[in-house]
Amino acid sequence: MAVAAFSGDWAKLFKEEINKSSVYKAAGKGWKWTVGLVVEAEPDKKFAEARGVVMDLFDGEARDIKVGPPADAQKCDFVITAPYSRWKQVATKELDATKGMLQGKLKLKGDLPTIVRYTKASQEMTECTTRIPVEWPDEK
Amino acid sequence: MARRKVTPKTRKPKLVEYADKEPSAFASMLGGLIEANVETRPEKQHDFETLVAKVGIWVIDIDEGVTLDFKGGLLNVHNGLKPRRTITIRTDAETVMNLSNLKIGLFGMPVYYNSVGRGVAMKLLQGQLRIDGLLSNITTLNAVTRIFSVQ
Repeated sequence: MAVAAFSGDWAKLFKEEINKSSVYKAAGKGWKWTVGLVVEAEPDKKFAEARGVVMDLFDGEARDIKVGPPADAQKCDFVITAPYSRWKQVATKELDATKGMLQGKLKLKGDLPTIVRYTKASQEMTECTTRIPVEWPDEK
Repeated sequence: MARRKVTPKTRKPKLVEYADKEPSAFASMLGGLIEANVETRPEKQHDFETLVAKVGIWVIDIDEGVTLDFKGGLLNVHNGLKPRRTITIRTDAETVMNLSNLKIGLFGMPVYYNSVGRGVAMKLLQGQLRIDGLLSNITTLNAVTRIFSVQ
């Protein structure tokens, strides 16, 4: 059953998908930092309020993923920020996250060498989002 | 009259400068990556301080590029490809990331026998990674790879 985009249920499924992935388990080995995703509001797309996704990832495992206010996500070691429709493009495979970052469509804050070292892990994490059945507010 | 002791301010020399008023996201990312690498990894400093070369990187699937103008201790990052480049790398976004994930092995040579290295070598053989000026500038390319590598 589809879940609302960037909701608590979505976070739960996202965590499950990451922990199911053997690719992520291997590629994320050694990772010990928190990652925050800031989903900026786009009222015209029926996504009225910004949200923050706080991901507690450790050594190839997702220990916790929570959705809350953007300020929580902004406190993480790595923060990726984009408007709702960009995140939707990533989750529907319309936009590759690596390309998005190089083009500035997804804004990244954090230690660059570390994130580059874990490119494969972040690509797999993106893949995990594409496996979640999502009900997009602008498609209702 | 007592004199106040003035402690000289030690300012860190700038390693990376951006030639454009508004550097592209790609330029900022590569500049930031190299700056962080050189600042935190002493083994990269010798290459950075001695390298004089203009390196172009064109990412074919985002249609964007940069020119990294290494001036022996200072890097000037330009949006787009500038003339008179020593080498020019043309490939996709994923391979650009993989280039910075190449391990550096014995004698400072990039490692092409692990999975990342084999992937890069394969792209080179298949023509999905093109390096103009490669043959006459192998030492320059190796130095750039060492500076660029996060491994």
